[in-house]
Amino acid sequence: MTMRLTPLALSVVTVCAWGLVLGVLSGRAELAVVVLPLLLGLLRIGRTVAAREWSLARALSAPRVFEGERVTVTVTVSADGPVPLLELFEPLPPTLRLVSGHNRGLFTLGPGRSVEWRYEVECVRRGRVNLGTVHARFWDRAGLEAGETSVRLPGQLRIYPRPLPLRRLPGPRRMQAFVGNYVAPSLGEGLEPGDIRAFVPGDRVRHVNWRASLRFRQLFVTQYHQERNADVVLMLDTLAEAGAAPATTLDASIRAAAALVTGYLARKDRVGLIEYCGPFRWVRPSSGRAHHERLFEALLRADVMFSYVTQDVALVPRRVLPPQALVIAISPLIDPRFERALVDLAARGFDLVVLSPSPIPVVRRAMRPSARADLACRLWALERRARADALHRLGITIVDWDPAESLEAALGGLTPSRRRGVVR
Amino acid sequence: MARRLAAVLTVVLVGSPLLIASSTAVLALGAAAMLLCFLGILAATPVLVGGMVLALGEYTLALWLAGGPPRLAGAVLFGVVLVLLLETADFGRLAHRATLGPGLLAAQIRSWAVFAAFAGVGALVASTGANVTSAAVRLPWAPAVAAAGAAVALVGVALALSYRRLPPRA
Repeated sequence: MTMRLTPLALSVVTVCAWGLVLGVLSGRAELAVVVLPLLLGLLRIGRTVAAREWSLARALSAPRVFEGERVTVTVTVSADGPVPLLELFEPLPPTLRLVSGHNRGLFTLGPGRSVEWRYEVECVRRGRVNLGTVHARFWDRAGLEAGETSVRLPGQLRIYPRPLPLRRLPGPRRMQAFVGNYVAPSLGEGLEPGDIRAFVPGDRVRHVNWRASLRFRQLFVTQYHQERNADVVLMLDTLAEAGAAPATTLDASIRAAAALVTGYLARKDRVGLIEYCGPFRWVRPSSGRAHHERLFEALLRADVMFSYVTQDVALVPRRVLPPQALVIAISPLIDPRFERALVDLAARGFDLVVLSPSPIPVVRRAMRPSARADLACRLWALERRARADALHRLGITIVDWDPAESLEAALGGLTPSRRRGVVR
Repeated sequence: MARRLAAVLTVVLVGSPLLIASSTAVLALGAAAMLLCFLGILAATPVLVGGMVLALGEYTLALWLAGGPPRLAGAVLFGVVLVLLLETADFGRLAHRATLGPGLLAAQIRSWAVFAAFAGVGALVASTGANVTSAAVRLPWAPAVAAAGAAVALVGVALALSYRRLPPRA
C-alpha cells in the first residue's frame, strides 16, 4: 500500500500561500506567523508508515435468506501493530438495502486489538450476492496522507424468491401412478368412498359395508378412490421482462413459481421447471425437500438472457415434460416466441394453464402518469386482449394477474372451472 | 462531534479579528467568511478554503485598521485555529455516515490537542527568534527579501509535495 497526499495537503498549501501573499502586501509580520503552524503541520507528512498490520474477517447472520429478510453483516478488524485511522467501505449490490448501521466504518486500533463492525441489510431482490471486496483506506491522523487497498473476503449470500401466499392450487386433470393427495377417478386403496358392490371372495372384511349388507341381506363392500399424485411442470418465460427492479414481471413470475413449487411439493406432487430463454434450461420433475432446494436454486439464477435462438418444444425430453403433466406456463406474454411454444404445447395435448403477470400495471407504476401514457397503456391492453383471445380460441386457459394483487385471488377463479372439467 | 468542533473553531477564527478592530468592513468580511466556512464544513473542502481565505483577509484588514505593534501570540493562535479547522472539518466529512470505532474520537481529539500545543509553542519560539534576529540585523530592502523568502518557501513546499505525489517506480 503506497501512501499518497490527500487534497487536504493542497488546501493547507493554498492557505499558506494566501497568508504569505497578504503578509507581503500588508507588511504585517503577524501573517507570516499565522502561516507557521500550517507549515509545521505539513512536517507530519511522511511520518506514517502504511504497513499491512491488520486483518479482516466477515460473518453473515444467515447465508441463505428469502427476499425481504434481513441479514446482519459483521466485519471483525484485528490489528497486529498500531493502526492510526483505518477507513473501511463495503459497496452494496443493488439487491441489498442498508437498514441499520453503515457500510462504511472508521477505526483506530492498538497492537493486538480487534473491533467488530456491524450493519444490517435488507435483501430486496433474489440472486446470488457476493459481498466479496472490502475497500480499505489507511489515513494518517492529520488526514494529509492516505493509502488504499482492497481485501477480498469470502461471503456469498443466496437470496431466494419470496413465495407468495397460496392455499389453493390449480388441480391437475390427469394423475400419475404414485401416492399423493389427489382423489383419482380410479377405484382402489384410499380414504375417499367411491362406490358399493357385492362382496366377492378375496375382499377384505374391513371393507364390508355393514349398513348396506343388513338392508339387502347380502354382503356389500365399499370401494374407495385411489389417492394419486400429479406431475406439474412450471414453464417460466425469461425471454423478456417489463417494469423496474425489484418489481419486474420476471420478479413477479419467479415469486409465483416459488409459491407454486412450494404448494405442489407439499402435496407430494412431482414438480419440474423449464426456463425458456430461447434455448431451454430445465430441472426434471421430482419431489422431496432436496428437490425443493434444487428448484429454488434454479429460480435463483433465472434471468432474462437475450438470445436469437428459438428452440422447439419437441426438443424437451419426455422425462422433463411428461405427457400427463399439468403445465403451468408463467409469462407476461411479451415475446411471440413464447406464445408459439404455448401453441405447440396445446397442440400436443398438454394440460396447459397460462399464468400471465400483466406488464401493463407494472410499467404504469414505473412511469410518470400522463395522458400519452394512458393512451399507450390502453392500446397495449387492447392488443394484449386480442392476443389472449387468439390463444383462448386454441383452448389455452389464460389467467391474467396484476402482480400488485393476490396470486390466490387470480388463481381462485381458475380452480373450480378446472374441477368441473376433470378428465376421468 | 467533529463538525461541531469545526463550527466552534470557525466562530473563533472569524470572531478574533473583531476583537482587534470591530469595524463594519471587518464584520461584513467576517460574516461572508463564516457563511463560506459553515458551507465548507458541510459540503466540501474547497469551499472551506475559500472561507478561510476570506477570514485571512478579514484578519489582515483588522490588523491594518488597528495598526500598532505586532500581536505575535494572537497570530500563533490564529494559525493553529486555521490548521485545526481544516483537519476537523475534513475528519467530520470522513466520519459522516460512517460507523466510528471505539476510542476513535478520543484518539483524534488527543492528536489534535498535542499538535496544537506543539505547533503553538514551535511557532511562538520561531517568531520570537525572528523578532530578535530582525532587531539585531537590519537588512536593506526588507520587504523584497521577505517576498522572495515567501516565494521560495512556497515553491519549496509545492516541489516537496509534488515529489511525494509521484507514483511509485516499478
